[in-house]
Amino acid sequence: MASLTGVSLKLTPLSSSFKPTQVPFLGVSNVNSVSFPSLTMRPGSFRIRISCAAKPETVDKVCKIVRKQLALPADSSVTGESQFAALGADSLDTVEIVMGLEEEFGITLEEESAQSISTVQDAADLIEKLLEKKGA
Amino acid sequence: MMEKGVQRWVVDISKWDPSTNGFSFALSLLPQHHHSSILRFVKKGDRKRALISCLLQYALVHEVLGIPYQDIVIKRTSEGKPFLECGRVCFDFPNFNFNVSHHGDYVAIASEPLCLVGLDIVCHMIPEKETVLEYVQNFSSCFSSLEWNQIITAGSNDEVLSEFYRYWCLKEAYVKAIGSGLAYGLHKVEFHHTGWTNISVKVDGILNSQWRFWLSYLGKGHWVSVARGHPRSAIESYKRSLKQTKFNEEEYNEGLLLPNPRFVLRTVEELFSVIHKAKCSCLSS
Repeated sequence: MASLTGVSLKLTPLSSSFKPTQVPFLGVSNVNSVSFPSLTMRPGSFRIRISCAAKPETVDKVCKIVRKQLALPADSSVTGESQFAALGADSLDTVEIVMGLEEEFGITLEEESAQSISTVQDAADLIEKLLEKKGA
Repeated sequence: MMEKGVQRWVVDISKWDPSTNGFSFALSLLPQHHHSSILRFVKKGDRKRALISCLLQYALVHEVLGIPYQDIVIKRTSEGKPFLECGRVCFDFPNFNFNVSHHGDYVAIASEPLCLVGLDIVCHMIPEKETVLEYVQNFSSCFSSLEWNQIITAGSNDEVLSEFYRYWCLKEAYVKAIGSGLAYGLHKVEFHHTGWTNISVKVDGILNSQWRFWLSYLGKGHWVSVARGHPRSAIESYKRSLKQTKFNEEEYNEGLLLPNPRFVLRTVEELFSVIHKAKCSCLSS
């Protein structure tokens, strides 16, 4: 945690009509967040997330893998904010995307951490964290 | 009485191709707070499926439980599983719950009065970018060695894919019934069957006789699986949404041994009509 640079604190209420039933968890991976989606995605929940923003190149590579797996039209927008479920990833796609990411970056995504990923940015951040650990 | 709580509905959305206005009308049948979760899907097909899925939930709850439209509160757990919030509305079933699934041309919903229910639709899609063996290999860690063996020795490419999709679909139904996400440990949930009937599950090597599973063919290469099991197997976040999770053996068997009806085909127009009427009767009262 001490070596993180470019730390950003984000408080994102996703739906103002949703009453949070859980206390937001402060940490790098949010245990209250939805699992890597096989069910349709979750609506509002308060998330406090300290994230070290990944390099744009990493985000781009993740976007490319996701685009390919989900056969998204060239003109559709895929950015760091894009949610995997919203892009149309079902449970089978999700497994293939994880495998694609593991191959591309030469890492292994643990089940528990994979379950905290819901956006492209989440994936890129986790990948860089793992690469950093690997390189250290 | 309890039988009425067991519902299996499916909608074929392939023929529903709404204009922008048509889609907006359909969306207007649902409470505002559901709109963004439907509209955020990028692909039109996914938006359609999400919309119909939500309509199915409202239609089913209204028809089966008789709850007035404005009193229906459907929320999601942190893992994304929709549930009916009991609140001040009482109903006759010990533990009414439901699950939805959508894939390809179909959107389906299943409900149970006591047991947990999960369902999943798969479509027999042929991989385009790789061979069948390469494709299924991606998922090998999700299967027990027994299941994996069944899959790869199934025969032709089509037979291999078929085995694969059916095992996958059953695992998904189980995982969705308990309210989990794409869980680690799928390989620990091992399915046994005779010709895809008498389907049972072993979890961590132990047969769990409190679960029942069914697989049926919907049409156009689509299969649907249904899982029915004990509410105490639900994960914590989903358990909190359930009315009752403790049952004695006799009570539980009443729910477990209910018939499993065939899926009933509902049309998009019927759904609109049910909900529209339900909304209007709220406005006039």
